Amino acid sequence: MTVLVKPRALFIGLSLLCLLAIWLSLALGPVSLPLLDTLRVALRMIGLPIAPDGLEQAELILGQIRLPRTLLGLAVGGVLALSGVAMQGLFRNPLADPGLVGVSSGAALGAAIAIVGGSAFGGLPEAFGPYLLSLCAFLGGLGVTALVYRLGRRNGQTNVATMLLAGIALTALAGSAVGLFTYLADDATLRTLAFWNLGSLNGASYSRLWPLLLISAGVALWLPRRAKALNALLLGESEAGHLGIDVERLKRELVFCTALGVGAAVAAAGMIGFVGLVVPHLVRLLAGPDHRVLLPASVLAGASLLLFADLVARLALAPAELPIGIVTAFIGAPFFLYLLLRGRA
Amino acid sequence: MRLSTRVAALCVGLLASHHVAATELPQRWVSAGGALSEWVSALGGESKLVGVDTTSQHPEALKALPSIGYQRQLSAEGILSLRPQILVGTEEMGPPPILSQIRNAGVQVELFSAQPDLPALQSNLQHLGKLLGAEDRASKLFESYQQQLDQQKVRVTKAQLSLPSPGVLVLIGHAGGKPLIAGKDTSADWLLQRAGGHNLATHTGYKPFSVESLISLDPQVLVFADRALSGEEARAALFKENPILSSTRAAKDGRVIQLDPTLLVGGLGPRLPDELKKLSDGFFPGTADQ
Repeated sequence: MTVLVKPRALFIGLSLLCLLAIWLSLALGPVSLPLLDTLRVALRMIGLPIAPDGLEQAELILGQIRLPRTLLGLAVGGVLALSGVAMQGLFRNPLADPGLVGVSSGAALGAAIAIVGGSAFGGLPEAFGPYLLSLCAFLGGLGVTALVYRLGRRNGQTNVATMLLAGIALTALAGSAVGLFTYLADDATLRTLAFWNLGSLNGASYSRLWPLLLISAGVALWLPRRAKALNALLLGESEAGHLGIDVERLKRELVFCTALGVGAAVAAAGMIGFVGLVVPHLVRLLAGPDHRVLLPASVLAGASLLLFADLVARLALAPAELPIGIVTAFIGAPFFLYLLLRGRA
Repeated sequence: MRLSTRVAALCVGLLASHHVAATELPQRWVSAGGALSEWVSALGGESKLVGVDTTSQHPEALKALPSIGYQRQLSAEGILSLRPQILVGTEEMGPPPILSQIRNAGVQVELFSAQPDLPALQSNLQHLGKLLGAEDRASKLFESYQQQLDQQKVRVTKAQLSLPSPGVLVLIGHAGGKPLIAGKDTSADWLLQRAGGHNLATHTGYKPFSVESLISLDPQVLVFADRALSGEEARAALFKENPILSSTRAAKDGRVIQLDPTLLVGGLGPRLPDELKKLSDGFFPGTADQ
């Protein structure tokens, strides 16, 4: 694959794109705020001494609604894209997706248990209902991934192909369990479940943001350190072993980071598809397959893509809102088809 | 400034919500929940509405208002962009973090019960009446509503003396396709009982049915609600998509009653008594009107 863009130019470009996305995400929304007010509030948040006259509404909307939402978008987009790179590296297949190791379907199962089970016990208590849902989704994702990993192991070796198939089987199993819960659910619960499955950055709050921010920062700092090992793995498992890479440990780390990152992202924002698949691809098209560039660049690109998608989600039908999963799939699915069919021409 | 006076007005509104004077009543309303929006309109608040959710379909004029989306999946900023002074909805409205964001923005958020019973309706109407400055109208509306339901009860009891309650199935479909059957603990079941029908379905909630079990229950009356079509079109679609229905006793006897699906959302609405009467007239033919 030829490199279209030099890494340095790519990082500068992506950083600018990401900053633009952050700025638009703060500046645009159904409530139109004067640009000057947005700027003043933003500067006030950084800590500059700016008089707060007449800024109450702007401050509230920026501080309580748009900023947490933007942070959530950054973290979710970044960590999903990063996990995509990790999975594509692990399976040595550019069509791999974080869902392959079962983390998404596990999280969906956890969420379904929380939503349907919760409503069967007379509704989740308002105070910790949302936390319980997030926790169940997170644990569901971790649990199913751990199981997939266990199934892929034999004699101390992790067989990636077995893991892939185990992932498919467990995804189907979790899917049928979710289906059962869907069947048992009443009308209202069903709607909640359906919306959860489409994902949304709506209603982000700081209290639910911190765990995700910590986890995604950890994953974003850790995975790029393994870039060289991932590059070696591209050559094949035994080749990487000969190059002195502890392949078993690498696999374990990749699966663990993905489970942790995607689990936390899905727990905070519901299911958001295609970011993990499409973003690494885009970056690879631009800058080639070197993981030293691919990993950090995917974080920036994923975060930007999700923020732009969220802008569409919140503005397209304002004052109502589209689930963001619809937007990402709308962008992602045609792109995926293009990738599939490109080689045939 | 404009903003600060608005904020001040909102604060006053919040403080005074228990002893409101006409001048301090909220003037810009957003309403979520079909029945609730209907009541707001019935109490003369239609002109004050600046936005409604997707379940608010009646009266017709509400469809022209900006839509805030589905009542359980609201967006704080979207609602705030309508600059409302008050957001009313049933306890189904959410998600909770959004409501607290809206509250923090100084918008009065009032929750109402979606329970389909008269005490809940009475307190809802009183509450709405106070907020709209139409308390007299609210109590009058409630009285006549109660009367209508009482008459309904008498009518059904009387009819049941001369005719047995018919076995009924309620089918909720979308353009006729794969209808769901309303079981226990649904608003459709509630309607059915008030109209004197006997629900043949014994499951809870809305569930798909196999055609066979549908036939084996042999309903005397079919009630169907279609979310996409209305009138003859809906009826034709139902029988076209489910030809086996034509062999039921209900279809042979021509006892197929259409129901407005928006009646089934969010508690007791103002159109309910008329609809109940229509249903019980269909359930007990020949006993209509004393």
